[in-house]
Amino acid sequence: MNNITRIIRFVWFRLSLAAVLFFAAQSPAWAHAFLDHADPKIGSTVTNSPGEIKLWFTQNLEPAFSTFDVKDAQGREVDIKALRPDSKNKSMLIASVPALPDGTYTVTWHVVSVDTHRTQGHFKFTVKTKR
Amino acid sequence: MKNSVFAVFKNGRSWLVASGAALVAVGMVPDNVSAHGFVGDYFFPPTITTDDPFATDEFSFPTVSWFKADGVATTDISFEFDKEIFPKFTLGIAGDYLFQRPEGGPGTSGWDDFVASAKYQLWENAPHQAILSVGAEWQIGGSGSSEVGADSTHVLTPTIYYGKAFGDLPDALNYAKPLAVTGTLGLDLPTRAEPNNLQWGFAVEYSLTYLQQEVKDIGLPAPFKTMIPLVEFSMTSPLNRGGGQTTGTINPGVLYGNPHFQIGAEALIPVNSVSGHTVGFVVQVQWFIDDLWPKVFGHPIFGSR
Repeated sequence: MNNITRIIRFVWFRLSLAAVLFFAAQSPAWAHAFLDHADPKIGSTVTNSPGEIKLWFTQNLEPAFSTFDVKDAQGREVDIKALRPDSKNKSMLIASVPALPDGTYTVTWHVVSVDTHRTQGHFKFTVKTKR
Repeated sequence: MKNSVFAVFKNGRSWLVASGAALVAVGMVPDNVSAHGFVGDYFFPPTITTDDPFATDEFSFPTVSWFKADGVATTDISFEFDKEIFPKFTLGIAGDYLFQRPEGGPGTSGWDDFVASAKYQLWENAPHQAILSVGAEWQIGGSGSSEVGADSTHVLTPTIYYGKAFGDLPDALNYAKPLAVTGTLGLDLPTRAEPNNLQWGFAVEYSLTYLQQEVKDIGLPAPFKTMIPLVEFSMTSPLNRGGGQTTGTINPGVLYGNPHFQIGAEALIPVNSVSGHTVGFVVQVQWFIDDLWPKVFGHPIFGSR
């Protein structure tokens, strides 16, 4: 390997490293909001009807554009109450739900993160009360 | 020509995609257009050695790979930038800088031929998480250095891109829902009497993120809950003019997603003796430029989706 090749390799490798550091340093507090976890847990079976449904996202949300709904196995919408962002945690949505009969429910969410990007998703949970 | 990583080393041709681009600032309104590859609820990650089917803003740098074939060890440091010009239509530009070291000989280095590309998202089905795109790549003959084997021949490669995730499977197959397949099929059309190659490849992915977020929270901790194990197959099949047999690599690896970037690593395993005898590797950093600069990227320059 001649000296010119060595110099080019030296510069190009370090340019690559510098680019990685530069872009990493740009990271703002903005990004797409993905669902991090939920209560009831995603895909879980609970033995009591939950009084509330809580969703935690990976980024802060624009509350005016962030919502979710709940449907039973027949596709009938559950009348959820007081859907709202958490007052202390801007990456969280909460809603009260009435007593849910046994069955599988689908939570479908649509949110907008503070960088204005929309994301959506859904998950199921099952209520199976102990007899 | 992302699906022909092997070709970088075998034929001295570039495999990345490419474009020219302009930037405009856009208003801060809710927008589901982004550099991220969503169909319905499913996020298809940018893959390393086979191009994904999304016509979105993408920027990868650096992609560093090492491979040995025909007695020549090659280190490749490359970039790729794609910009959405019109809704669902991107132009791209890509380049590879190669360092080649033949056994017992002096090392050389230089740019491989640059590759320009265009892609259009033709069809999407959100409920069934499926997508089909069409495009073409243009290896710009003579734009690279002949010292590293860059070809003076122009090669146009019309390409079909596809993707299908399986989140629509019945609940009895819950744990198969995070699976997805993406792939490409292209035909090399060189401007000289060289072989017409079929460039084909596909990736089989299992999104632990989709498993955690949509199917079942199994309590995976970070960083595993944002990882996507995958295997990519990157092949070149000559069709005529004494092009020889199919060559390529099978590339098992993993992608790790962060809100602002994705880093992936794969082994490059030759599929046959003609493809090489040594296992190589590739590492790539993909920047989610729509999240880093949401006012600039994640939107077409003209029009809106």
